[in-house]
Amino acid sequence: MSILVVGLNHKSAPVEIREKLAFDTNSISTALSMFLQKYQNAEAVILSTCNRVEIYVSSLEDSIKVEDVLSFLADFHRIELNYLSQYMYHYKDDRAVVHLFFVTSSLDSMVLGESQILSQVKEAYMMASMQEATGKVMNQLFQQALNVAKIVHTSTSIGKGKVSISSVAVEFAEKIFQDFTGKIVLVVGAGEMCELLLKHLYEEGSRTFIVANRTFERAQELANEYHGQAIKYELLNEYLTKADIIISSTSAPHYVIHANQVKDAIKHRRGNPMFLIDIAVPRDIEPDVANIHNVYLYNIDDLQSVVNQNADERTREVEKCRAIIEEEVEHFMAKLEEMKIEPAITHLRNHFHTIGKEELDRLKPKIKNLDNGDWEQVVYTMERTINKLLHHPAKVAKQEAKNGGGYRYVETIKKLFGIFHHHHTDHPKQ
Amino acid sequence: MIIITHIPFIISIILYFVSSVLFIGYIIKPSFFNKKIAKWTMVMGFFVHSGFLIFLGLESGNIPITNVYESFVSLLWCVLFVYINLDYLYKIPSLDTFLIPLITALSIWALTFDGNNLLITISLGNFWLIAHIIPIFIGYAAFTISFSLSVMYLTQQRQLKLKLFGSLFNKLPSLERIDNLMWKTISLGFPLLTIGLVFGAFWVKTQNVLGEAWYLDYKVILGLATWLVYAALLHMRLIASFHGTKIACLTIAGFCLVLFTFIGTFFMGSKHAFQNVSEQTNTEILNVQ
Repeated sequence: MSILVVGLNHKSAPVEIREKLAFDTNSISTALSMFLQKYQNAEAVILSTCNRVEIYVSSLEDSIKVEDVLSFLADFHRIELNYLSQYMYHYKDDRAVVHLFFVTSSLDSMVLGESQILSQVKEAYMMASMQEATGKVMNQLFQQALNVAKIVHTSTSIGKGKVSISSVAVEFAEKIFQDFTGKIVLVVGAGEMCELLLKHLYEEGSRTFIVANRTFERAQELANEYHGQAIKYELLNEYLTKADIIISSTSAPHYVIHANQVKDAIKHRRGNPMFLIDIAVPRDIEPDVANIHNVYLYNIDDLQSVVNQNADERTREVEKCRAIIEEEVEHFMAKLEEMKIEPAITHLRNHFHTIGKEELDRLKPKIKNLDNGDWEQVVYTMERTINKLLHHPAKVAKQEAKNGGGYRYVETIKKLFGIFHHHHTDHPKQ
Repeated sequence: MIIITHIPFIISIILYFVSSVLFIGYIIKPSFFNKKIAKWTMVMGFFVHSGFLIFLGLESGNIPITNVYESFVSLLWCVLFVYINLDYLYKIPSLDTFLIPLITALSIWALTFDGNNLLITISLGNFWLIAHIIPIFIGYAAFTISFSLSVMYLTQQRQLKLKLFGSLFNKLPSLERIDNLMWKTISLGFPLLTIGLVFGAFWVKTQNVLGEAWYLDYKVILGLATWLVYAALLHMRLIASFHGTKIACLTIAGFCLVLFTFIGTFFMGSKHAFQNVSEQTNTEILNVQ
């Protein structure tokens, strides 16, 4: 029973390679069934996201090697093996477990502590499990990985604090406005950053967008995407009064929104707050705007510094997460060792009971004066004796196996009692 | 003697104090302080406080407003009562951190009126008295809460302006939400204050409790001033739809006036149906004790 992971991620491979190796839902199920056809009695899970492709494999007594998995992947995606393998990493047994726990807890993610990976791992596991590609080992491994990730996320601050400019901006807006449904968002400039922010605001319930841009067509394009309204750039001043949230990111070399304009706007708004985000460099909004009552202005540096602060906070939590994961890996490895010895113990038990039954069969014709009730008592006593004899060694063997070296005990049991089991039969898929 | 009878109130002050420390601690270090414990400590304080008022009422056979101290304790009870109900209805995050320390401070202040020898001069079984006092007390309670909300508003505003994005910033609700709640509490308090004042006016006219020159009583004058401030506030909000800082500042001014009307007038010599226990009755009371 060994665990192996072979894969690549955003650190080991550029996007050109990652996209070549990526699986979609259909190809995952094809690949899984092909793999299982080739390696019967193996278990496998394929995890494929935009930042990583990994295949987790469990086999009995190390029958599947790294090279096997690599060549399977190369064949499946029709990539040259040597070319592929330079981007791949692989881990075995406890290191593979550590890796999966790290990945699931999002310590290996591009954005530390992001929560999406948890559901991606869950989905990958569900998919494999529906294909009956998982067995005892993978079930245990992935269920524990998901559990560990939950523990890590709830007992540390790894996932706390927003770590992108747009999410921080939305978080600020949430400290000014109760909800975004009735709020008017004015977008000045139609750059990529604006679009990201719009998307975020839309997700939070914002529905009224006004877009102003030097080139009207681009404004219209962006406005259409979010069912907004495009306006002529010259009309900006008129719409300033109506806007609750203003996002500006033009490439203009001078200020686009001036303090006196905002002062006029706020007078009409009677103290209703205005939230301005200036993500342009050079800045679009005159800095004096920040001094007006009920007006809140943030520029790209303000947002970036919060992002950095939160990212640092997350990095500081990594050690805490690592400690939790190490402990959980230890638990898992102990469970794995215990699982290794279970079939041997079952065999031993069957072996004893077979001998017992044989002896009873030999005895039965020899005794004539026993009625059925008495015979049952004899059978019962025999079974009870066997169970009692086996109880202690089985318990101790399991316990000792937990500390590692489960195989050693399996071998000892086999040798001592002369039993040989074929793993083809005692590795039931669950 | 006095000390012993007031032990329950002292206990509730201690509970309020502990709860304040826990609430503030929760803002500073959430991993160390438990908000639930803080809340339950506050509720326990409220129960002891309630028990104390019931005890006072049973002892004297009247509603516990027979002297300045009792009135103050009753008013504070109203504040908590209104707060607990509002919190149940609206789930106002972090208001407790602002309100409970205020209640603790006011409770300690109330304790200093313990020996005050101003006693109420009118019979307490009077319908008019109840109709005058209870709406005003609950109205004042609502204003106390709107005051805390205003402080919260200005705090959050300051943090937004100065870009102080710490733990307090994260825990306070949005400006708009605080603004709405401020408005809700004021619009609860104002009609009650109005009813209380109207009943008071009827009472004064029909039964002549404050004497001929009732309109010169400081409490009457300041009560009207308070009413005007809140009326102006409502006007600004309803008719001119004002929001934000101005409303918050006016709410704070309104509360200062409430506090001054309630307590300050006693220092100015206004009795408002309370009377200094004369030396003669004083010795009588001493003899009884």
